Amino acid sequence: MSREFIHLKVKRQDTAETSAYWEEFKIPYKPNMNVVSVLMELRKNPVNVEGRKTNPVVWECNCLEEVCGACSMRINGMPRQACSALIDKIEKSPIVLEPLHKFPVIRDLKVDRQVMFDYLRKITGWVNIDGSWELGRGPRFPEKDRQWAYQLSRCMTCGCCLESCPNYSERSPFIGPQAINQVRLFNAHPIGQMDREKRLDAIMGVGGITDCGNAQNCARACPKEIPLTVSIADLNKDTTLYGMKRWLYK
Amino acid sequence: MAEKRIIVVGGGLSGLMATMKAAEKGVKVDLFSLCPVKRSHSVCAQGGINAALDTKGDNDSTWEHFDDTIYGGDFLANQTPVKEMCDKAPGLIYTMDRMGVMFSRTPEGLLDLRLFGGVKYPRTAFAGATTGQQLLYACDEQVRKWEDAGMVKKYEEWEFLSAVIDDDGVCRGIVAQDLATMEISTFAADAVLLATGGAGMIYGRSTNSIINTGSAAGAVYQQGVSYANGEFVQIHPTAMPGDDKNRLMSESARGEGGRVWTYKDGKPWYFLEEWYPAYGNLVPRDIAARAIFKVCVEMGLGIDGENKVYLDLSHKDSDFLNIRLGGIMEIYEKFHGDDPRKVPMKIFPSVHYFMGGIHVDYKHQTAVPGLFASGECDYMYHGANRLGANSLLSALYSGTVSGPAIVEYINGLDKSAKEVDKKHFEQELKRQQEWNDKIIKMDGSENPYKLHQEMGDIMTENVTVVRYNDKLQQTDEKLQELQERWHNINIQDASAWGNQGLMFTKQLWNMMQLARVITIGALNRDESRGAHYKPDFPNRNDDEWMKTTKAKYTPDGPVFEYEEIDNQWIKPRPRKYDVDKGASKNE
Amino acid sequence: MSVLEKNHFFIRKLHSLFGVIPVGLFLLEHLYTNSFATQGAASYNSKIEFLQSLSYVLYIEVFLIILPILFHAFYGLYVVYIAKNNVLRYSYYRNWAFYLQRITALITLVFVLYHLWALRISSALLGTEVTFNTMVQHLSNPGMFAFYVIGLLSATFHFANGLWAFFINWGIAVGVKAQQVLGWVTGILFVILSIMGLQGLFAFL
Repeated sequence: MSREFIHLKVKRQDTAETSAYWEEFKIPYKPNMNVVSVLMELRKNPVNVEGRKTNPVVWECNCLEEVCGACSMRINGMPRQACSALIDKIEKSPIVLEPLHKFPVIRDLKVDRQVMFDYLRKITGWVNIDGSWELGRGPRFPEKDRQWAYQLSRCMTCGCCLESCPNYSERSPFIGPQAINQVRLFNAHPIGQMDREKRLDAIMGVGGITDCGNAQNCARACPKEIPLTVSIADLNKDTTLYGMKRWLYK
Repeated sequence: MAEKRIIVVGGGLSGLMATMKAAEKGVKVDLFSLCPVKRSHSVCAQGGINAALDTKGDNDSTWEHFDDTIYGGDFLANQTPVKEMCDKAPGLIYTMDRMGVMFSRTPEGLLDLRLFGGVKYPRTAFAGATTGQQLLYACDEQVRKWEDAGMVKKYEEWEFLSAVIDDDGVCRGIVAQDLATMEISTFAADAVLLATGGAGMIYGRSTNSIINTGSAAGAVYQQGVSYANGEFVQIHPTAMPGDDKNRLMSESARGEGGRVWTYKDGKPWYFLEEWYPAYGNLVPRDIAARAIFKVCVEMGLGIDGENKVYLDLSHKDSDFLNIRLGGIMEIYEKFHGDDPRKVPMKIFPSVHYFMGGIHVDYKHQTAVPGLFASGECDYMYHGANRLGANSLLSALYSGTVSGPAIVEYINGLDKSAKEVDKKHFEQELKRQQEWNDKIIKMDGSENPYKLHQEMGDIMTENVTVVRYNDKLQQTDEKLQELQERWHNINIQDASAWGNQGLMFTKQLWNMMQLARVITIGALNRDESRGAHYKPDFPNRNDDEWMKTTKAKYTPDGPVFEYEEIDNQWIKPRPRKYDVDKGASKNE
Repeated sequence: MSVLEKNHFFIRKLHSLFGVIPVGLFLLEHLYTNSFATQGAASYNSKIEFLQSLSYVLYIEVFLIILPILFHAFYGLYVVYIAKNNVLRYSYYRNWAFYLQRITALITLVFVLYHLWALRISSALLGTEVTFNTMVQHLSNPGMFAFYVIGLLSATFHFANGLWAFFINWGIAVGVKAQQVLGWVTGILFVILSIMGLQGLFAFL
């Protein structure tokens, strides 16, 4: 596909309080660009399609190789990492960039995803070791379990799953797939599982695992292809059994 | 004394480890980071972390690890801290394992090890090909636990601007800027740790995250802290060149059997295996990068005449590759389009790691009492060249040293930061406020991002794999010209909210200072050692140059002094990788 | 914390359970009974008479059918309300099923309430009997018949797809493959129940 210009349409917002507006740009095409490198080009000459000088677009990005989770945005409507959105593979023009809309906008394409980290606190998202001093070899762990647990541990808190989840919204207190997936990860670890019930308790209240409606968009939106729906189903089993135990042993 | 409080700047592996260590000792930590700490650059480390765990029946030892590291670093590192690091490495890995890092396992559930460059047997623990990410997440989680316990307060999306140093020359806090509100504030602390990482952005494109500007190191350098061994910049032999960045293709690709080749006379030529029969594809990075550079640039044998050679894993089983190297398989496939399980990857060397950094003592304290530095932003553990998988180790290990060292330091303080005269804070705040006001009003004709590109281009051209004095001289002149032009920047965006251009312009200034430290450091050092290679001075010259470079800031440019190194453990010997290193007999 | 909040997990589980037991089972029974209409008025009437002659029939109706339905329905309204559907953006099969589950919930609720009123409560109040002929009259209006067809299909979809979700919500179908296979099985169930229900309906024409 050959083109002279990359036509961008960006949903902009100057501050957290002001209202959003659209601005369009044309950036000279080069092969092998991605959305981040296009925005970087734009900074070198921030002029919109009307030829007016404008503020460079603000967005978040760090690693540019899809491991840090920073550059999530909606590209042609779909949440994804801007760094791995290769221009040569995007047919549509203009390319429409919008901030994730499930999170408060800070400026332009940059949003505040603090809530995701708060959820990780809520679910006891750590292995509760006594301290970081040396205590000899860690627990043995079967490689076959390690392989699936590793898949879960690659979650980079990018927010695509929450963005696409119909049950994650201002109407619903649902904590969403990312935190639930982390519960499964920590409960799989030989030391982590010692706090298993505490973590299950954390996802059995309002907004917990029962608020998942199985639309399963999350697993499709996840750039790391984490089996989020499997994690949810697996914890459905654990919470059900634990719920009964919690009740019968009262 | 009032409540003890320290500041840690930087939420990568070293900063988080130090935070954890301090919190464990009952000291409250204010943790500053310009991004949510979980997105720090440590996530990019792929291949693994070295420790002589000896789970593979090779009779590996921490001494052997120490010797490989010193030898690999071409006898420039101070040996005692390196020895300590190698001794502590196994215990540290076990601790990380307890924290829940999903390290790859042997069939009996122990930590698996893989081969890495510059060593003869497997010593690298790994979690697929995203080891850095996994280690960082474990530290992030532990720090979240301390946050939950009220011991850590995070200031994420805040950028460090400078240290607050009182009349006694003691560091008493920092000035930082909120990246959303752009508000500049001072924060008092009994001690400050910088764990701000490398500075790949000085070269424009590197394997580093774009947040790795080295700006914090550049800021304290201008406040009088020495910058050491700046000229030692690691060029990683295997990266996927890109317009926005060069994406790393881990050394573990070669550790797991990957072969580097190009066509010569119509046939595949495995030049590393031919030139270095003892280590083959697993020569250290400086050696491999120079070889690839030679094949492409000097011999003109790159693929299709371009500056690229093959890194080939296509002969390996794809399930094996997915389990052991899934992370980089994905990156290559996503960003390049080809499937590296089926066709060889095309790679070229790229700027990757800064062996040099802020000058510190063995406790990670700078010459300014109360100001510490650890992680990639220090200079301590790698000498003239870093061995693969030693960076995650030094990042974590340095945090286990700096954290407790800070606690020890503040316990010995006679007055807390709260008792320090407010005027020191006010002065530094005023200085930063004025600097900010100056930049926000800049209405010249230069674009900061274009200036940055020019700087990156010339640094990459002249201060990487092969260095010539005349080119270095020209580079320094160009850097001075760029500094002049910096004053003529047009800020473009004058808004007082989430202004990234303003912050970048500040960072650029600091980067420019360090660029000169690197360039003049390289110009001065007339020898070849590790990553620093001058064809006009092809040999290592221990008599004159087995010394740590120390650059000190003056407004007219850096001035240099050289410090003897500590080589009490291993006697320097010539470094060659075409034959076995002839394991050290110095024990 | 309110009682609802405190017992959130239990209430949600109850909601999920009631959809299958007893409400789902009742639906199966009801469709099966109706299918006797295809064998003629006499056969149908005898089955109705048998059901009405069960001991404790009123208690069964109130406690095992009506109350569970009301709970499932009215808590379900809240579940429907909190979803922000996005099928146009994410038009995946599963997301559509999620959306349809909520749409059919609303249709089924209206349908069931009307159905209950017209054929059970009013006849109970007036003391009239429901027979094959009552049904023939009831469905003689084409609009009413269409309403029944839609109501029936909504109910069978909501049940079959709900059964799929039930197996996941209780952690029985966990793996990706298991969930896929279950999707097929419940899809076939939807078709079978719909055919059975439609045959019953058409028998009254």
